[in-house]
Order: sequence, then C-alpha cells, then structure tokens
Amino acid sequence: MERTERARSWRPGPRLVSVLVGGAAALLVLYPIAYLIQASLSVGDPQSRPPDAYGLDNYTGLGRYAHIFGNTLLVAATATVLAIVLGFGMAWILSRTNVPGRAAFEQLMAMPYYVTPLMGALAWALIAAPQSGFVNQLWRALGGEGHILDVNTPWGIAWVMALFEGAVAFVMIGAVMKSMDPALEEASQVLGAGRMRTMLRITLPLVLPGVLGAAVFVFAEMLGSFSAALVLGLPSRFYVVTTAMYQLVSQYPPRFPQAAAMGVSLFAVMFVMVYIYRRIISRGTYVTITGKAFRPRAMDVGRLRWILFGVCLGYLSIAVVLPVLTLLYASVQRLATAFPRAGNFTLSNYVTALSLDAVRSALWNSLLLGCATAGVGVVLMGFLSWIIYRSRLPGAGFIEYVVMFPQAVPRLVFAFGMLWAWLVFPIPIYGTLWLLLIAYLTVFMPLGIRTISGVMLQIDRTLEESAQMCGASWGYRLRTVTMPLLRPGLIAAALLLFIASVRELGASILLMGPKAKVITPAIVESWFSTSSELTAAMALLQTLAVALALAFLFAVARRALRPVGE
Amino acid sequence: MIVSASPPAARAASIEVRDLVVRYGTVTAVRGVSFSVAAGEHLTLLGPSGCGKTTTLRAIAGLEKPTAGEIRIDGAVMYDAASRTQVPPERRGLSMVFQSYAIWPHMTVFDNVAYGLRVRRERESDIAQRVGWALDLVQMGELAGRSASKLSGGQQQRVALARAFVFSPSVLLFDEPLSNLDAKLRAEMRVELKELQRQLGITSVYVTHDLEEALAISDRVIVMRDGIIEQIGTPAQIYDLPRNAFVADFVGSANLIRGRRRPELEQGGFVVLETQGGALIHGVAHGRSAGREAVFSARTVHLQLSRERPASAHNVWPARVRSRVFQGDFTQYHLDWDGRRLVLRCVTSEPVAEGTDCFLSVDPRHCVLLEE
Repeated sequence: MERTERARSWRPGPRLVSVLVGGAAALLVLYPIAYLIQASLSVGDPQSRPPDAYGLDNYTGLGRYAHIFGNTLLVAATATVLAIVLGFGMAWILSRTNVPGRAAFEQLMAMPYYVTPLMGALAWALIAAPQSGFVNQLWRALGGEGHILDVNTPWGIAWVMALFEGAVAFVMIGAVMKSMDPALEEASQVLGAGRMRTMLRITLPLVLPGVLGAAVFVFAEMLGSFSAALVLGLPSRFYVVTTAMYQLVSQYPPRFPQAAAMGVSLFAVMFVMVYIYRRIISRGTYVTITGKAFRPRAMDVGRLRWILFGVCLGYLSIAVVLPVLTLLYASVQRLATAFPRAGNFTLSNYVTALSLDAVRSALWNSLLLGCATAGVGVVLMGFLSWIIYRSRLPGAGFIEYVVMFPQAVPRLVFAFGMLWAWLVFPIPIYGTLWLLLIAYLTVFMPLGIRTISGVMLQIDRTLEESAQMCGASWGYRLRTVTMPLLRPGLIAAALLLFIASVRELGASILLMGPKAKVITPAIVESWFSTSSELTAAMALLQTLAVALALAFLFAVARRALRPVGE
Repeated sequence: MIVSASPPAARAASIEVRDLVVRYGTVTAVRGVSFSVAAGEHLTLLGPSGCGKTTTLRAIAGLEKPTAGEIRIDGAVMYDAASRTQVPPERRGLSMVFQSYAIWPHMTVFDNVAYGLRVRRERESDIAQRVGWALDLVQMGELAGRSASKLSGGQQQRVALARAFVFSPSVLLFDEPLSNLDAKLRAEMRVELKELQRQLGITSVYVTHDLEEALAISDRVIVMRDGIIEQIGTPAQIYDLPRNAFVADFVGSANLIRGRRRPELEQGGFVVLETQGGALIHGVAHGRSAGREAVFSARTVHLQLSRERPASAHNVWPARVRSRVFQGDFTQYHLDWDGRRLVLRCVTSEPVAEGTDCFLSVDPRHCVLLEE
C-alpha cells in the first residue's frame, strides 16, 4: 500500500526539529543570564573567571549607589507621566474628535518612532545645552545671563524620552480606544445618562486598564533606557542605572561584579513591572476581548478642533521636525551656532564622515548585520512562533516564557551577561560581528516573535489541518501553506528587525570589538571625542541609510505580497 | 462545460471505533464511544454542540489524540491506546471538509484542489484532468483560475468539497460543512451533497447538529449527548422510534407524556398509560419494557385537531386552543390538555381560533414508549 511506503521513508519529524530549535533559543537566552548572575555573586578578584569566591557582598554594597537608583526612578517616572499625557491626549484627539486631517495625523504618528532617543538626545543637546545650545545662545544675544534651558538634567533626559515614548503610548492607548464598541456609550446615553456621566461611568473605566497597561510598559522601558541618559547625563555627571553600569564596566579597572549586581537588580524590578503589565492586560481590558475594530463616533468639538489641530501639529513638530532640522542645520556648519553666517556653511562634515574608514566600515557593518539579523531572525523566530502557538508540542509554554525573557532585561544588562558568557566560549567569536549577530538575535527575539505570532494567530488552524488531511507531511505543509500565509508577518518582522539592529546601542556598545565597529556606538563615540557637527552628519547618514534600505525592502516586499490569480 | 470522464476508482474503506475516550485535561469530551461504519456507508454523528461529535470525527481524522480506545480503518490500526499507536493524519488516507472550509487564500481554485494530488506526486497532466473532473462535478469548472480569496461562501464550500474527494480518499469526513451557509443555499447543497456521495460511493462520516441534514443524507445516524451515544439507527428508526426522551426531543419536536401503567386495560398489543389528570393514552412499546411509570413520545405533527369528535375508539380527548402561531409551512398550536400544555403542528386551510374548544386525537401507533 502507498501509505506504508511513505511511512517508511525517514524525515526529521516536527518533534525533533522543534526540540533542537527550542533548545537553541533557550540556550541563547539563558546562557548569558546565568553568567550575569554568576558575575554578580563574585566577591573575589573581580578579574578572575570563573569567580574564585561567591557571596552577596555586591548586592549589600548597592546601598552606595542609592542615589543612582533614585535618579533612575525620577527620570523614569517623569518621562512616563509626560509620555502618557501626550499619548492619551493624542489618542483621544485622533480617535474621538473631528480634528481636521485626522487620518493623515494617524499615519504621521509613526514618525516619532523613527527619530530614535539617540537622535533626539543629540538634537536637544544642540538646542539646549547650557553653554553651546542654540536657544541659550539666542538668550545671551538678547542680553540674558547664563542659560534659560538646560538639557543636561533629569528633566532634559525625561523630556527627550517622553517625546519618543509618547508615540508608543499613543499606539497602545489608541488601540484600546478604537476597540471600544461605541454601542456601550450609546446605550448609556439612551438610558438617560448625560455626556459627562457617560464619560465618567462608562468611557473612563473601559479605557483605564489600557492606559494603566501603557503606563507600566513605558515605565519599564524607561528603567532600561540608555542612549539619551548617556548623551545628556554624562556631561553633568548625572547617572542612571544603565549609564552607571556602563561606566563601571568601561572604566579602568572595570568593576564587573558591582555592575552585574546592579544589572540583576534592575532586571528584577523590570521583571516585576512586566509581570504587572501582563496581569493588567490579561485581566483588565474588557474592551479588547472582541478584537473587533470599531470606528467610534467622532465627537463634534466645534471651534476647539483648530486648537486640537495645533496640538497635534505641535507634538509632531517638536518630536520630529525640530530634531531633524536641528541636526541638519548643525551638520552643514563648520562650527554649530544659532546664527547663520555665509562662511560657516560647508558639506565637509559629510565628506569627512563618508571618507573616514572607521565610519564607512561601521555603517557597512551595521547594514550587513541588519540584513543578517533580519534574514536569520525571520527563519528562527518564525519557527519559534510556530512551535509556541501551533505545534502543540509539550514544552511549548516553557519556550514561550524563555524567548520572551529578553523583553524584561535591558539590552545593556543582557549584553553584559553575553560579554562574560562568550568570552569563555571555545569558539573565538568575541570581538567579531558574529557575537553582535548572536546578541541581536537574542535581544530582539520578543520583537520578532510578537510580530510574527500576531499574524500567525489570525491564520485559522484548519488551514493547516486541511493540508494535513490532504496527506501533506509537516515540512510540505510548512512550505506550501503556513509560510506563504505568514508572508506579511514575516516581512514586517524582517523590516522591524532590520531597523532595530541598525539602530541598536545598548548591546552593541559593550560587545563590539575594535576591529568590527557598528554605526550607533560610533556616533556616540564621535559625540564625546570629535565634533558635534560631524556627529550630526553621521546620525543623519545613518537615518538616510535606514530609509534607503527600507525603501528597497518595501519595494521587494510589495512584489512578494502581490496576490495570486487574476 | 465538458464533464470529464474517468472518475478514479474509489476504494471505500470501513471504519471501526471501539471504546473511544478523549479527554482534555479534566474535561472528558468523548466517554467511551463504539460504532462501525461499513465500506461505502454514509454515517452521521448528530447532537447538540458540546456532545463530542466533532471530537470523535477529529479523532478518526487523527487531528485529536484520544485518551483510550481503538480506531481502525479497513482493519489497519490507526489509533490504539494499548500499543500506543497513533498514525498521523497525513498517513491515514482520509480526507475532510472543514466547517470553515479552510480554503487557502493564497492559492487559486485549481491549486487548492490540486494540492492533495501534488502531495501524492501525480503527473501534472493527470492532475489537470482530475482537478477538471472534480471541479466540474461541483459546478466550479469555470472558476479554476480564480484566486480563492475571491470566492463566495457557497463557492468556497464547493471548492472544499472538490479538494476533499479529488484524490480518491478511502473515507470522507465532514465537519458541519453546511453550517456557515444561509438556509436556502444549505437546502440546495444538501441535495447536491447527497447526489455526490452516491455518485462517488466513498465511505463518509458526517457531523452536524441539523436534524434535517442528518435525516436527508445518511444511511445511518448516531445521536450523541455528553460524549456518549444515545441511539444508533436509520433516519426512519431515529425519527419514528426515538429510544429516549433526549432523542425524541432533539430529533424533531415531540410531546412527552408521562403516566402510570394500566396493564388491565391493555389489549391488541397496545400499552396504556393514565396521566395525572386521568386521561388514558394508548401507545406502542416496540418490544421495550416499561415499569409502573412510563413516558410516551408523540410528535407534534402526529397530533390531530378537529372541531367534531373523531370516530376512533382510543386517544380522543377534548382540548382548548390556547395560542396559535402561523409559521408559513405549518401552523403551530399550543393546546390546554389534561392540565398541561401540548404542542401540535399541522397544515390546515381552516385555522382554529384561539380559545376554541375542540378535539385532540392521535393514532396509537404514533405514541412511542420511551426507555427511561
């Protein structure tokens, strides 16, 4: 019989491959974490590996750094409040009012996400550094004393971060507002409640869990944020946990154990935050249960709509237009100043940036790594998503838990674990691009898997089952049904992985070797050791390279997404 | 439209399910089900949602892993708890039509139907011919090149059907295939499906919660509830002789009348019950035994309403029309009878007004004794 012949030919079964891939993913995540914890318990000679004595001294000694933890909380809390106010305001305006140009604004709200915290920090340092900042130059030219704005403060860091995280909060809160069935509010009004009462008793309780969830999420992200705190805090010796860790590791002699203890503590706090976030999301959001998208009735706000229009325009200008223009303005000057002078303009910064081997190779390495991360990542994370959400294999739940782990660990902290872990690895990959590739694949695993699984969960399970009933083996099914249906998710994941890798700082700055540099840490290095004009040019070149690469990928993607037939 | 010749020789298989148990965690969906399907037979699993019918079907398909029992197809073990055998679905040689149709939106109609043949590495020329034949059979021949994402529900259903039988599976499984269609289309497809089944002669197992569908297309029907089998029989047996109150109620609408046995009045093969209100009912036992108390089932369409007293000797009582609901094909009356409510459906040209006193009668052969 045909059936038995087919049964005899041996192919690797889903179980075997899943165990291998799942195991590899678990190893990628847990191996560095183990080394991080080991390092934090080392109380002997800080340079010796493995540690020659273990103890809790590094944790008990954290009291000395209490002010740093205080700084971190201050910055994170301030930025979170600001970001939530921005995000909530924008979400309310764009989903519930008849503000002019609402559809266009909704599209444009993705823009702040492309202006990284690093770009924002560089731009705002140019605008509002106490001495050289453009605004303060203007102030003194108008006869003022000293400075009126100082961005090298906790408030400055929080401001830059809030402008960025505001867009994240907008997406999260906007999703909740949009998924709310307008009938719930209409029912309240039909039953005789006024607009105010409806707002307080119906709308607010429905939206609140989503807002809380966004607040916890943004707060957790803020605790682990690094680049803005580094660029803006270092000049005034204002440290948060991540920058303090970086300082401990990069100073001579490095104090690895203390840094590790600090990292583990931060990681513990974030873990709790992520746990709370997931609790809020899974319990509280009544409105997202249906998953249906509604277009809630827009409220007619009368002449107020032009004020709200101004608010939207203002946010986008301050978060996107102003930073980019500032960098552009600085990058075409010999010496960045607020006052344009004919002889001061030059393109030499771009010429320098493109002719310096260090910058060119760093940019090239980053693009190469971005493509590699996207390519390898999509295959790896696509398969992991399939294991977690589709295979029904025992242990799928455990794998899900492990691969989502990096979400709760700041990338700098994770990289620190990797630094130790891969130094002792028998194959010498330390200081090469390979280590960075492994790092990116590990820290961006939650990003890729979330993107792909979002699409995967929408694919009806019976589409795969019917292929199975037609007699297709699992590999054949994966190739002919699952993968083609997943294509939009895979492409989106590839794009996100590419962008995230090229812009990555926290992990790269610790892990890159002197002969294999990448662009983002090179920009930071340039900011502190060469001129701000050259740095601005480099930052814009990076953005341009990402934009060009994205345009190319989009063109390819569009062709790949063309529907079949007709 | 050219109807291609050469329907491939379908090798119908028999199915045997023995003591099947399917458990998910603490929930037991199927609790010890045994039945067999003869080669070429059309069997339907009928029951309300959550009765375990779909789980049973998916266990036969191999999409669910049972907890205990045995499943054989043509004598070959597909699942056996004792020897820990579980043949994966793709090696069972079955085919299935899903409730959601599961038409792959990224392929054309042709590619969807050709899938099972390509899996079997058939020659492309054979594939083209077979797909053409299958699509013609479901009247979709002209849409072969269309993208599957641009089909209506009824068209998707036809493609799903063609895809399922094109590679001559030994058994066809249907998981509520018509439940997503509107009522009119469903009635049409029911007839087409039946013709197709007879034409292909493939063994089929069909799952539905729709009584008419089950009665229309099956050789035999299995009524399930809470993971066990309530009754197995031909559509006529199930309808005319429901075994118990659940089947009587689920298979068409029935009035259940409880009463005390009056053996001293029984003659001519009839069983006689006396209700609490004192009415005497004659009915048939069909070999079933009854205790001191028993229940008759009388279908709503078998009750008769008349203004004058009918001539028959048994089962004639006065009753009053409480309410009347016009439903198009029939009129439903709610009657006050013997201190309770009875439901009656009839096709009359002369409606009886609400509040009218009249006579209710029923042929004793239509009062069926139920097992408790």
